[in-house]
Amino acid sequence: MEKIVFDTLQETLFHDRLDNGLNVFILPKRGFSKTYVTFTTKYGSIDRTFIPRGKNDFVTVPDGIAHFLEHKMFDKKEGDVFQKFGMLGASANAFTSFTRTSYLFSTTENLYENTKVLLDFVQEPYFTKEKVDKEKGIIAQEITMYDDNPDWRNYFGTIESLYKEHPVRIDIAGTVETIEEITAEHLYECYETFYHPSNMAVFVIGAVDPDEMMTFIKKDQDGKEFSEPEEVSRDFPEEPLEAFKKKTVLEMDVQRPKFNYGMKCNRTNLTGDEMLVQDLSIHLVLDILFGRTSEFYTQAYKDHLIDETYNYDFTQEKGFGFAMVESDTENPSALEAAIRKTIQSQAGNWTVTEADLNRARKRRIGQFMRSLNSIEFISNQFMQYNFNDMNLFDVVPTLEKLTIDDLKDAFTTISDEASHTVMEIIPGGKEG
Amino acid sequence: MFKKVVLQKGVNLYIRKTEQFKTITMSFKWIAELDDKQAAHRAVLSNVLQDSNADFPKQSELRKALDELYGTVFYMDAGKRSNTHIVSLNMECVNDEYLSTGGVFDEALKMIQSVLFKPNFKNGSFDEAIVNREKHTVIERIRSIYDDKARYAHKRMFDLMRPNNPASVSSNGTEEEVQSITSATLLDTYENMLNNDAIDIYIVGDIDEKELTAKIKSMFDFPAREFSRKPLEVESVKVKEVRKVFEKQDMKQGKLQVGYSTPVSFFHPDYPKMQVTNGILGGFAHSKLFMNVREKESMAYTVNSAYAAYYGVVYVMAGIDAELEEKAVKLIGEQLDALKNGNVDDMELDQTVALLSNSIRSAFDSARGQIEVYDQYKYLDEDFTADKLIAEWKAVSIEDIKKMASQINLEIIYLLSGREA
Repeated sequence: MEKIVFDTLQETLFHDRLDNGLNVFILPKRGFSKTYVTFTTKYGSIDRTFIPRGKNDFVTVPDGIAHFLEHKMFDKKEGDVFQKFGMLGASANAFTSFTRTSYLFSTTENLYENTKVLLDFVQEPYFTKEKVDKEKGIIAQEITMYDDNPDWRNYFGTIESLYKEHPVRIDIAGTVETIEEITAEHLYECYETFYHPSNMAVFVIGAVDPDEMMTFIKKDQDGKEFSEPEEVSRDFPEEPLEAFKKKTVLEMDVQRPKFNYGMKCNRTNLTGDEMLVQDLSIHLVLDILFGRTSEFYTQAYKDHLIDETYNYDFTQEKGFGFAMVESDTENPSALEAAIRKTIQSQAGNWTVTEADLNRARKRRIGQFMRSLNSIEFISNQFMQYNFNDMNLFDVVPTLEKLTIDDLKDAFTTISDEASHTVMEIIPGGKEG
Repeated sequence: MFKKVVLQKGVNLYIRKTEQFKTITMSFKWIAELDDKQAAHRAVLSNVLQDSNADFPKQSELRKALDELYGTVFYMDAGKRSNTHIVSLNMECVNDEYLSTGGVFDEALKMIQSVLFKPNFKNGSFDEAIVNREKHTVIERIRSIYDDKARYAHKRMFDLMRPNNPASVSSNGTEEEVQSITSATLLDTYENMLNNDAIDIYIVGDIDEKELTAKIKSMFDFPAREFSRKPLEVESVKVKEVRKVFEKQDMKQGKLQVGYSTPVSFFHPDYPKMQVTNGILGGFAHSKLFMNVREKESMAYTVNSAYAAYYGVVYVMAGIDAELEEKAVKLIGEQLDALKNGNVDDMELDQTVALLSNSIRSAFDSARGQIEVYDQYKYLDEDFTADKLIAEWKAVSIEDIKKMASQINLEIIYLLSGREA
């Protein structure tokens, strides 16, 4: 077991890679009564074309399958896994993102029993035709719920308009039609391919003794049989640089238009330190150009172009990345013009100063320290970073060394207007 | 869990020293009676005070100063509890210990002073332009509920069940009340708030209690005040006939809300028993509603129950295919009947108590959670701890569940659904 001490943060991380390839991370937090344990596979909605374990050819599976699989993992022959966690006082959950599926619980008692339940239920698949068919009704309701959610439609509609080929454009839950095609055989095939321990990681944080927990997990894993680790072959289509669509307008039963400005990132082959530098740099540029201290924000808020729903963010993973600036607005076209003007002004004549950078940097350092109070944040963020070969605890030292040139360079990866799109949700035309 | 210091009559300081967090979290709360006019004024006032002040007359200047303080978080909000309206000023800064430069906490306290005592006045009152802009913002906030179908259905149910009652008053007031605000009326609200509201100040973090108390006393010299709190009387509702209200918007899924009244409210001695009862019915993923409506019948993705204890209301929310409304209502009724008949096993009871315990202990793992939970329960017991409440939950029997369930009376079925359905 390796022990990594982060002096200035007063945190210590323990790590080991077990014989079956499973990565285990343990981070004890003083003063916490809760322990939060996640078991995550590097498998999400974008992993739709791959070579199944033991086969030679690529297959493409129905959309929404990673999420469907996540639902079905909880349903066992002997009943629902939530019951087991409940009996042991733990609150359990799971989520599926573009690139990860994570199973988790938090508890203030019976830590080892709960950990055992987590390891076992994720490592013992049980799918039948009957159970798979039954789940379709529940997931169809989940999909319909999101269909009625204008914020979700605005977010996802933007990604759909940015990307022409890459599967990030496909809704994580799939559609009511695509989930109909899913069979128990599909689930087994995906499970065998992506749920091998060498494609997964356990993260334990909070009230925990690292030595005891590591020994416990090791013993559990040594007692189970797994095939040899094998790298998963995934296939992704070529994505053009241009945005798929320039503009998309959707009518819904809302009172006020919703607006989203999407920017596709054109440098998505980075990993590790380079990726971290780009990620933090783009966040800082956005803070400076679109944050609450910016000229853009001051003017747009004054002109009623944005309101309390205003937000901006940048997301990147291997193979895709996008920035968004969004708000409810009474004047989508004026807001669009103001955003474009802000971007163009920097593309022509870079005005970000050292003082801007220093202030934005301080803010991000403070925000990072604050987020270390949340064991859920650390756990989820750590895994996302880890799967992209970055280390969450490098954030502060990396922020400290960023230069204006880093920001300028990173900005060029999102500033090309040919890679931008506009999404609007407008009040419906039906009788209301 | 908090050390209480009475600064003045009606002004209390609650301190919790802990090394658990890397930040210091502060919350100042002003408590007044709740009605539409108060709520509207105080919601706008929160926004205006948050925007700027005499030391930082532009929002961008204030925000730059906060960024320089390592992204110190500062926001104000308007909330409600029972028959009171609460304005909170929240600030969170990184503990100096983790920074290369010190003095952040002191600067953050100074910032609060500026916000409270040096408003951004023009000609002796709030700047009309800022007031108008923030009125506009609060009105948009009120209107935005319509666009979130689940929240809208929830609000409609309370409007229908408890009109002209704190239960259905929004913490933002109404659009009309917000419209009527002027700089002059807002100034009254501001002075009233500082001089007459009950004030609770919370501070959590790795601080020196003595030094901090002295600092707060000298920096925030609030005068003594009288504030008498009369707890909200929960009237027992005699349900003659169950109301059914169906409304339509352009949407796909049906949002079902089933409302029940109960005489057991927050201040009732049976309150913990009712919490457990609600938990068994629909608080968790092992609860009857989840197991039977979702897992067994595959009818819903979301289905759960909640207990609005201050208002004596228990309610069930479900996202369903609108055509299956009758079946859903029947199934929901059957789950409650099972509780009434004592058709609950020890395992369900134990799981529920375990998860309630887990959720309150987990809430204490954040500074904000500690403040919000204690702030609520201190009215029942100044020496409140999670363990005391957990002990009460553990004492609940299946016989108690039967009794509680029999005091949950169906009052309304509300369905918001698409026009085609």
